Amino acid sequence: MSNKQKVPVTILTGFLGSGKTTLLNRILSEEHGKKIAVIENEYGEVGIDQGLVINADEEVFEMSNGCICCTVRGDLIRVLGNLMKRRDKFDYVLVETTGLADPGPVAQTFFMDDEIREEFSLDGIVTLVDAAHIEQQLGHSDESSEQVAFADVLVLNKTDLVKDESLDNLEARLRDMNRMARVIRSKQADVSIDTVLNLSAFDLDQVLQRRPTFLEPEYPFEWTGVFSLDKGRYELSLEEGPDPSMSLVMFLDQGKDETSLNTGAESCLRLYAEQEQPINPGDIVPVGKHVSLQLQSEGTKSFLIDVEKATDIGLFTQHTAEEFNLRITKVKASIAVDKSNAQNVSTISPIAERVWVAEHEHDDEVGSFAIERVGDVDPEKLNRWLSRLLSEKGVDIFRTKGFISYAGESRRIVFQGVHMLFTAQPDKEWGNATRRNQLVFIGRNLDEAEMIQEFDKCLV
Amino acid sequence: MSGIEAFSPKGMLHEGWSAHVADYAIVCGWALQGKTFLVGDVAGGLYAFEGESGKLIWQTKDIHKGGLLAMSIHPDGNTFATAGQDGNVCIWESKEGKSTKNLEIGKGWVEHIKWSPDGNFLAVVFNKYVYVFDGKGREHWRSEEHPSTVSAIAWSNSNELATSCYGQVTFFDVVSDKINQKLEWRGSLVSMVLSPDGDIVACGSQDNSVHFWRRSTDQDSEMTGYPGKPSHLAFDQTGTVLATGGSDRVTVWSFQGDGPEGTVPGELMLHTEPISCLAFSHSGMLLASGARDGSVFSWFLQKDGQGDPIGGAFAGDLVSQIAWHPDDTALAAINANGGVTVWDFKVRIKTVPQGFG
Repeated sequence: MSNKQKVPVTILTGFLGSGKTTLLNRILSEEHGKKIAVIENEYGEVGIDQGLVINADEEVFEMSNGCICCTVRGDLIRVLGNLMKRRDKFDYVLVETTGLADPGPVAQTFFMDDEIREEFSLDGIVTLVDAAHIEQQLGHSDESSEQVAFADVLVLNKTDLVKDESLDNLEARLRDMNRMARVIRSKQADVSIDTVLNLSAFDLDQVLQRRPTFLEPEYPFEWTGVFSLDKGRYELSLEEGPDPSMSLVMFLDQGKDETSLNTGAESCLRLYAEQEQPINPGDIVPVGKHVSLQLQSEGTKSFLIDVEKATDIGLFTQHTAEEFNLRITKVKASIAVDKSNAQNVSTISPIAERVWVAEHEHDDEVGSFAIERVGDVDPEKLNRWLSRLLSEKGVDIFRTKGFISYAGESRRIVFQGVHMLFTAQPDKEWGNATRRNQLVFIGRNLDEAEMIQEFDKCLV
Repeated sequence: MSGIEAFSPKGMLHEGWSAHVADYAIVCGWALQGKTFLVGDVAGGLYAFEGESGKLIWQTKDIHKGGLLAMSIHPDGNTFATAGQDGNVCIWESKEGKSTKNLEIGKGWVEHIKWSPDGNFLAVVFNKYVYVFDGKGREHWRSEEHPSTVSAIAWSNSNELATSCYGQVTFFDVVSDKINQKLEWRGSLVSMVLSPDGDIVACGSQDNSVHFWRRSTDQDSEMTGYPGKPSHLAFDQTGTVLATGGSDRVTVWSFQGDGPEGTVPGELMLHTEPISCLAFSHSGMLLASGARDGSVFSWFLQKDGQGDPIGGAFAGDLVSQIAWHPDDTALAAINANGGVTVWDFKVRIKTVPQGFG
């Protein structure tokens, strides 16, 4: 049996009235050449037009050990157990849950039950959100925030009933809660089928292909300035600020349009994941390196920038320029000797400036964050930490996803978790790629700082 | 197929006959004192083969819209019942495959049906309810609503029916309509067997354990450590040993003396993939086991649960059910690919028994 393809399963969640049945009907009536079996749990809404539809009462079975990760959906095991015997009759399964369902047990069913795991693979979790009512729902029930947190795709539905500005705010809030998910807006669940089926959301390789950064990043830097500089030496000066040091990355040939800034931000994000190199006032700022400007001394601190030939440089700084009164000045040979004469030096204004949405405070209890670090981890240390973390906090950690680089392992380790269950499996060879770790955690009241600190201890 | 290559019958299993049905063969059994072997496939195909030769006697198609789920052969072998996703139960006579009665239970799946030992009642599971019909197809009794879907049923005697569901096993007296006993345990019970004297109840549990109770003493125990879900369980005819699946080995617990608590079970290892069916012979301590890898083995068991292989054969694909001929002279297996194989079971006289593994 093992050489046969596993049947993909999509879990469709969302509150009553969010448009699940509309979406289901759309999927079933569209020409997609798939034979889809639907396991439907919600009675009373609009009926499903066609397709193999099986009704099953949601039966959430807890185990005697009380372990939340062992909690599964008994009805799914029963129904799928029978369905898999007729695999030639269908090639996709959609599981619809009621609005009040906790997605955890549904997802866990596909990891916990040996027979189900053998025949089916969880393709993705799609959560429909009623744009007009979700704010209210998020405040009132744990289930709605959990459904958002578990999602691979969030369909923000009924957008025609809400003002654009509120939609933007809502989307930002949802992204805070779950930065792993893709957000799609729709009016009457009129989303393309490809956006909800065959996501391979649990196949990280594909996720990575589709979205190279894998995460919707909350940048570790707050500000970017692009400066047009001629050949020569410049001073980067900072006044007293909120921190005794500040991370910075400098690029040459930085474009000032949106795309270039985003590309720069992305490259910068990778560099920020690397260990910073401290530099002191008077030192030259290297190009394309994650440096930490040492700002402990009093008064104005100046670092040097050497420009070989005219270029636009991009500075990506941990804090905004304003906070340190950061500025760039041209060093003229005659004046450079006499620093007291600084007021004669003209400050160069940036040709473009951008304040990034930095890692900000989360209002919701449910949130997500990512750890991204270059280098290898000690498998034993990581395992110890994660085992402890998941046994203590597993109830609150809904999903974990990512890649790990184990020291001494030539292959990338793919990491997947739902609550306390996690699998770490070797994937493809690292080859020449930079060995790095990328982990996303989604959960309730996660202590981000502590978790990052603990992760860092696992680095070799 | 991984982990195993096809091999010819070994030991006490000998080449018999084989046949094919149209879809995944899901249920089977011997009827008419072993003269007929019945097979049902998931698509609702029903087939009767001559027990000796494998010749097709009759067949019917599409008997339960949506699919066939269960079959129970009447103790006298002359009639049998089928149930399916259409919510119906159908009663048939075995000789010519004529349907004699159709019972419409409701909208939903009927997953389990079972004739009482005396053949007077047919128990039918419908979601959270169990119905009992008499021989004429009249509803004789109906259970109250169970807390969750009933996962298994078993008759402890001709008047007492046991049901399992999430969290409990209940014994109903279906004649005087009362609950004789309720055994509770917080866990999802996925399968159930009773010892032949009805005293021991064993349930496979979703959390990879086997839970059992002794009705007479109210003692219960849990056997843990299975790598998978032990959905398949079988007691021998004397109630001495309980064979369980849940991995690629058959784990055998012995109820001799104070066991099985605190004892080490017998472990029968030859299959390369998880056990998919188990059946004890009608007499003696002979166990047959089938696995997902398509292998079938027969074992001779000791009272302490230890055992040795005495025969082996390859059924070609996941073995969905296995059935001993009523006089134990043949062993039948059906598989996920619609394969039906019947082997003669007898001592090899001329050839030297071959080793296994």
